[in-house]
Amino acid sequence: MLNFIIRRTLSMLVTFVVVSVVIFLMMHSITGGPFDGNEMPLPDNIRARLMAQLGLDQPLYVQYLKYMWGVLHFDFGVPYQSPGETVMGLVAHAWVPSLILGGSGLIIGAPIGILLGMTAALNRNSWIDYVASAIATLGLTIPVFVISTLLILVFAVWLQWLPASGWGEPKRWVLPILAYAAVPMASYARYARSAVLDTLNKPFVTVLRAKGLSERKIIFQHVLRNSAIPMVTIFLPMFVGIATGSIFVEEMFRVPGLGAYFVSSIDKRDYPLEMALMLMITMLFCISYLVSDILYALLNPRIRIDGSAR
Amino acid sequence: MTAPALELRQVSKSFAKRGGGPGALLAVDRVNLVLPRNKVVALVGESGSGKTTTGLLALRLLATTGGQILLDGTDITNLGPKEMKPHRKQMQVVFQDSYASLDPMMTLGEIIAEPLGIHAIGTPAERRDQARRWLEKVGLDASYATRYPHELSGGQRQRISVARALILGASVLVADEPTSALDVSVKAQIVNLLQDLQADIGLSMLFISHDLSVVRSLADEVVVMLRGRVVEHAPTDRIFAEAKHPYTRALLDAVPVVDPKARRRRTFLTADEIAARTPRVSAADCERPPLSDTADPQLVALAGSHFVEAIVTG
Amino acid sequence: MTEISSAGVALATPDQPKQHSPLWYAWRRFTANKAAVGGGIVLVILILMAIFAPLIVTSGPNDQAFLTQSLAFPSPQHWFGVDDLGRDFFARIVYGAQVSLGIGFSAAVCSLLIGLPLGAMAGYLGGRFDWIIMRIVELFSVVPPLLAALLLASVTRGGLWAIVLIAALFGWKDVCILVRAQVKAFREKEFIMAAQALGASPWHIIFRHLIPNAVSPIIVGFVLAIPLAMMLEASLSFLGIGVQPPTPSWGQMINVGMNFMFFYWHMAAFPTLALAITILSASLLGDGLRDAFDPTLKGR
Repeated sequence: MLNFIIRRTLSMLVTFVVVSVVIFLMMHSITGGPFDGNEMPLPDNIRARLMAQLGLDQPLYVQYLKYMWGVLHFDFGVPYQSPGETVMGLVAHAWVPSLILGGSGLIIGAPIGILLGMTAALNRNSWIDYVASAIATLGLTIPVFVISTLLILVFAVWLQWLPASGWGEPKRWVLPILAYAAVPMASYARYARSAVLDTLNKPFVTVLRAKGLSERKIIFQHVLRNSAIPMVTIFLPMFVGIATGSIFVEEMFRVPGLGAYFVSSIDKRDYPLEMALMLMITMLFCISYLVSDILYALLNPRIRIDGSAR
Repeated sequence: MTAPALELRQVSKSFAKRGGGPGALLAVDRVNLVLPRNKVVALVGESGSGKTTTGLLALRLLATTGGQILLDGTDITNLGPKEMKPHRKQMQVVFQDSYASLDPMMTLGEIIAEPLGIHAIGTPAERRDQARRWLEKVGLDASYATRYPHELSGGQRQRISVARALILGASVLVADEPTSALDVSVKAQIVNLLQDLQADIGLSMLFISHDLSVVRSLADEVVVMLRGRVVEHAPTDRIFAEAKHPYTRALLDAVPVVDPKARRRRTFLTADEIAARTPRVSAADCERPPLSDTADPQLVALAGSHFVEAIVTG
Repeated sequence: MTEISSAGVALATPDQPKQHSPLWYAWRRFTANKAAVGGGIVLVILILMAIFAPLIVTSGPNDQAFLTQSLAFPSPQHWFGVDDLGRDFFARIVYGAQVSLGIGFSAAVCSLLIGLPLGAMAGYLGGRFDWIIMRIVELFSVVPPLLAALLLASVTRGGLWAIVLIAALFGWKDVCILVRAQVKAFREKEFIMAAQALGASPWHIIFRHLIPNAVSPIIVGFVLAIPLAMMLEASLSFLGIGVQPPTPSWGQMINVGMNFMFFYWHMAAFPTLALAITILSASLLGDGLRDAFDPTLKGR
């Protein structure tokens, strides 16, 4: 088992390093540095000096190694767009709105999704099942920015119940949280439905029924526990998936979170910020996949005993 | 003297343990087997005895970890795919699972004609005709050529497998439990088919089975395997009349008998009991001197081409 | 050589009626799934609309012919109204279908071209090759597709083919995994061993036996790749790095529409609905096909 964990971790590390190199190379191949886009073209010698100052004139692999060394110390440099603070500092205060809104969306969406899925499974092939499944499919197939648009259209424009944007008072949070909640809810509804259906079909449930156990006891004491495994393992990656969604939600609802900064960093060719955000998100993805792989192996006795994930 | 159709010399196969670690599984342990021309040799044993693995090794579908395989006198043990290809025309296989043996997406005509295509024999039209002829040879109407495997019964599918195996003119057929998955009446049909074809085109067969009743009617010689080793081999009637090894006896006892009055108690022996009852043979009884004078069990020759794994005493 | 027939049994003639193939049963399962069939029908309608766009709409998508009626609401002359630059909005939406569906299908085809051979080889050859492919798939799984797509798009400045390739870059791994799983399942089957015993080369086995038997994951993978590609394109266009104006793209139109949303709701509503409906139908169709081909996959 330990063998398995070590192997997966090493494999993830290698993957991460490869990805970081690729990202690094990509960023530097974007023609034009921070000084090339805009309004005031700099005279060459000043430009050369600034590039040297920012270390942009050295060979690529040196830049890469220096950068990764800094990363290990949590030093991602200074964002071009606001040189008054460090990238880490910016991230430190930018992640708060993202976390609050995204996290709330997940925490609200997941249980609702699970309940929806369970209800659908227990009433399979009835209209409840169809409606619940339809809602789940909608949540997954409609892109998050479309959902956001619809939310704004319905609740802010037509019904005028809630404000459409901004970040400040809690009532402004409702719509973004709903937008975030859609995907987790839909995902969990699907997983819950198929997991519960699978378990209900297993012979041991028939035995329990034959023994006379009430349906409700069967569901809550036995079925749920057996269905829990896949749902636990997808929790983490979903969390990171929220990060991707944040690009749109924050843009549409004008929330100053990580997603918004990511978009602006691309726009303004702000390398340090771009690199940092990409690396951090990728690292989060790597870690969450690793943890969920390990969790799944731990919970699945077949892998635990056999020692390999084959 | 002509070379035997197929010969296995000290063939071994060991499988490494999954996930690494010490100790390997010795599935086939220095097996010697001679398949004379136009004869049927039955390879019997329980599941796990290594008989199927031996068949796959002979076919070069698995790589050996020791020993030699000779096809019509030629050593094919280590030939690469290109060199092996012409030899494959001579040796073919029929498997137990008739459904999985046929590509579900191909018509029966295509299946039978495929070997000709692989070896680039004849034009497409000629191949189609050949396929049709072989369909009839195995007892199916030529109009079956456009049908698909799932439309046939198990016995019919086995006939297709036989046609595919023999269309290249193979002289050696390795049949791995071809009748085990079939109904009793169909078993007889397939056995008859094989016998007829053998008489007609001259076929040497390595017939792998755990079903001794089928073996009795088909085989010239019986080779008994236990845990990867050959423990006895002799002509068929000698095996059924005078089996010497306890394991062979146990297998024979297990064959159901129709007459209720003739039924006897079966003996079920554990592996240790079998090992404990290894026959002891004095050197004088051996037809040929034993190969070595260890006290370990070894294959000794008794009268009448009868070989048993025994401990030599005296 | 004499004709031989099996002892006691005359030549077997086909007396049973032709039985149903597995594909027939799959079709039955598919048509029983009303949502999937509905999705398929809607998708076909949209595809036809996109192909016959010039026949359906009177003005072109970029003709600024109605400047005096900019931002007009839907009316009998302009079914979806007029946009801010004086273009007939219905025309823009219909031509937008060409762009979105075109990109979706092209990207799906490219995903298939990359994923199918890699998956088949990984499944059949196993060992080192399989390991390498799986590591590459893992690489692509770990990178958040949208973020990476954003980066790539900004590097290449958007443009139609760049988007198709980027979408294919993130779509191939799903096809690869599906095909690999199917090939692995079939690899141990006796008919493959029989082909090996016949002396068939690995290429022959892969192309003649394994890939034809992988038809169902190929179809499912293809159909499911389409909405993924469309979502990616819409997202990129929404952010301004995808399809560039004036070429109509629904994602781009939603972005513009947001600015006018509060009063001129039609600017945002129609592209949103168009995108949602298209992606939904394609997804339902894909899911339905998957369930029809292998009903054991979902808990139905």
